[in-house]
Amino acid sequence: MENTLLKKNNSSLISRVLKSKEIYFLILPGVIWYVIFAYVPMYGLSLAFKTYKANLGIFGSPWVGFENFTYVFRDPAFLESVWRTLWINLGRILFQFPFPILLALLLNEIRMNRYKKAIQTVYTFPHFLSWIIVSSVLINSLDMQGFVNGVIQLLGGDPVNFLGNTQIFRPLLYITDNWKSAGWTMIIYLAAITGIDTEQYESAQLDGATRFQIMRYITLPGIQSTIVVMLILTVGNLMNAGFDQIFNISNAATAKAGEILDIYIYRITFQSAADFSFSSTVSLFRSVINFALLLFADRVCKWMGAEGLFPSMKKKARS
Amino acid sequence: MSLSVNKLAKSVSLVLITAMLMLVIAACSNSNNESAPPSTAPSSQSSATPNPQSSEGDSDWKPQSDLSKKVKFSYASVQGIEGFDYNKGDALAQYFSDKFNYEMDVASLNWDNWSERLRIWINSGDMPDVAVYNYNHADAAAFVDQGMIKKFPDNWKTRWPNVAAVFDKTSIGPQMEHTFGGTYFIPRARFMNNLPGDPLPNHPSLFLRKDWAEAVGFPIKTTYTTSEVMEFAQKVKDQDPGKAGNKLIPIAENTTHAVDLFVARNSTHFNRFYMDTDGKYKWGGASEDTLKGLKLFSEAYRSGLLSQDFYTVKNEEHGSYFNVKGIAGATFFQAPTSALQQFYDDFQSNTGLDPYENLQMATVLGDDGNYHQYDLINYWGAIIFSPNIKDDVFERYMDILDYNATLAGNTILNMGIKDVDWTYESDGTTVKSLYDQAKEGKPLGGTSGKYPSMGYLLGSTILFDDFAFDNPNSDKRLRDLSKQLYTERTKVATPESFAKVNWDLFSFDSPNFRRAQMDYYTEYANIVTQSGDIETNWNNWVNSKKSIIQPVLDELNSKLGS
Repeated sequence: MENTLLKKNNSSLISRVLKSKEIYFLILPGVIWYVIFAYVPMYGLSLAFKTYKANLGIFGSPWVGFENFTYVFRDPAFLESVWRTLWINLGRILFQFPFPILLALLLNEIRMNRYKKAIQTVYTFPHFLSWIIVSSVLINSLDMQGFVNGVIQLLGGDPVNFLGNTQIFRPLLYITDNWKSAGWTMIIYLAAITGIDTEQYESAQLDGATRFQIMRYITLPGIQSTIVVMLILTVGNLMNAGFDQIFNISNAATAKAGEILDIYIYRITFQSAADFSFSSTVSLFRSVINFALLLFADRVCKWMGAEGLFPSMKKKARS
Repeated sequence: MSLSVNKLAKSVSLVLITAMLMLVIAACSNSNNESAPPSTAPSSQSSATPNPQSSEGDSDWKPQSDLSKKVKFSYASVQGIEGFDYNKGDALAQYFSDKFNYEMDVASLNWDNWSERLRIWINSGDMPDVAVYNYNHADAAAFVDQGMIKKFPDNWKTRWPNVAAVFDKTSIGPQMEHTFGGTYFIPRARFMNNLPGDPLPNHPSLFLRKDWAEAVGFPIKTTYTTSEVMEFAQKVKDQDPGKAGNKLIPIAENTTHAVDLFVARNSTHFNRFYMDTDGKYKWGGASEDTLKGLKLFSEAYRSGLLSQDFYTVKNEEHGSYFNVKGIAGATFFQAPTSALQQFYDDFQSNTGLDPYENLQMATVLGDDGNYHQYDLINYWGAIIFSPNIKDDVFERYMDILDYNATLAGNTILNMGIKDVDWTYESDGTTVKSLYDQAKEGKPLGGTSGKYPSMGYLLGSTILFDDFAFDNPNSDKRLRDLSKQLYTERTKVATPESFAKVNWDLFSFDSPNFRRAQMDYYTEYANIVTQSGDIETNWNNWVNSKKSIIQPVLDELNSKLGS
């Protein structure tokens, strides 16, 4: 019985793939990219258990067991950076994750197409600026002699140390990342909204639903599965807290507040004598935690009634 | 259920497609994080000294390679001009490429990616034929051990005697030759004839507004303790003699120079392990001298004497608050002899004041009245070769280095083309400048100069510091002042406060030692900018580092301690 179900399920998978072959063809470059640049280099992770010798290569370098892990856990800065990364990213989920959803819902309510496109372009544009440019503008605007403090002083206030204050550092990360990325992420939700059956909107309008009710009871549930997928992917990425942004915005005064795991890895890899085994160890640790978090988030979503990333085969077979 | 599965599949597809599109667009529009501006070439005053023991000109000098045969090679160095043609880009580049019959493919690295990129190239066995390497002993030992860089032939010193003479002068060259059992690196000498002292003092100095000091009744001297500098800054802050208003910065610094001014000037070993007078190895971060410097640093920062956002200052911009904007009372800044003329000229053109009357340069001492510094070692950057370099290319490049270490070669490299930009006095050795910058309307070297290629990129083992003492292209008053500052530093120091290099420690390496390296400048600036008591902050920091520092101290004391 089970075999028959699986067989049926497999054949339905193949037929589904064939049915949507254009979409799967579009995925192909991405899959190839992942195989070449994400899966093949994974053999380098073995460096975490070796002492890297450039002349011997990754395969030929001698094994040292868990010695590198001993060094990693001896450094208190490592565990501090792990916790800091988690805290910064939890803040991102709280303050950044909902923002593009809200933006997409609001933009969807704009009826004038030209205006809608203009707004969308304005919100999307910052994504194309590198963090080097954004941070340069930010530093020049917010430093003690910058534009913002100039205005504050003009109004009779005292200059504010925006860039050296560790209390302001995290909000600054969230605000700037929201400004830079929210418009881009919004595109995913806008695309999901366009997939919602328009008949539902027409029926609701006929039933006299207000625009807020339509947003609340049709649009939002319509993109729920996209939100769940995005949330799971975000949670699975909790140990990556945005190296480019923090590297460019932080300074000596905020160095500790901004030392996330990626910055820690950068520091031990490039700011002292090269130790590729040591940095591979930290990277492996980060990947394992990310993977565990991804599975955890998937479980929690399923437990809360959502589908999660990997719906079980049994459920699919039954359905 | 199948409906929801389909819905999910649709969502996942949607996310994947959008992500893929993002990737494609991002790949097309990706801005490169490594697009920092190219490093500037040295100014027209940048020169190196000739070596009197070497042969003086073309007539005496003999190449070791067949110059009639053209060679091509790749070359990587910091301080190059991105995109500039170092073969035919100007007359000087043309002169050298014609004389030595080569075609050089230059990879210009910047300060931010220099060490990192070269390290990756070397480790991947993909380094250029020739490179200027920012010597780091731990890495260097690994490169030698693994055969990642070329070992020189045993007879190289007899074949290229001028390079060998410079090599011996660097002190690190022979030391590392002994350590590695052969020559792998040619360190570039800061000084040849005018070595100001052993141990070698560094050049950063205090630049102080003499006119402001006179206005607030502060004595003019050539040495000040850190506290005296703060006293001057306080007077300037209180009285604002330059009427800079709320733009006034009593002491303008960036992170590096702020730490140099307050911590390094009071603590000789602030950024290293050291052997104490009791024969035991200790860590400079935990020394009382370091705490003393941090307290002064903290006081200057909290009382507003130091620029309040010194940690946001990029590169060397803090100097411009002093000599361009004219709103700073003092700055502790780079002061190589060759750069002084430009600094003074900028001061004059931007503030309209005579720099010789209104600017004071001084040495900063610790509050104990002694000059504190660890031996600079007479080198900066080392030339290395790929293990795969062809013999004829290696020999040609060594010929270039050897010629440029002669009086004739070195002078051309630093002053331009003979009989066009300079000539000899009747004695046949003293160099006389023919270059008139005012008439030409541009400096001799530098990106916007007559010869943008001028400098190390054309192949040199002697840096410009020494020649700058005698360079007729800069004002003699500045050259004399610079000599005086260098010399004074060796006199106002004790053997403990101005320590000679400990070669055992320099060549020590272990996994623990490597992992205990840190960016002390950022660490100290972070301690100072934290709220709370500075001593408590320092204690917390020292304790937080204990687990990585103690194993190194144990190793050092068991292997090198007495």
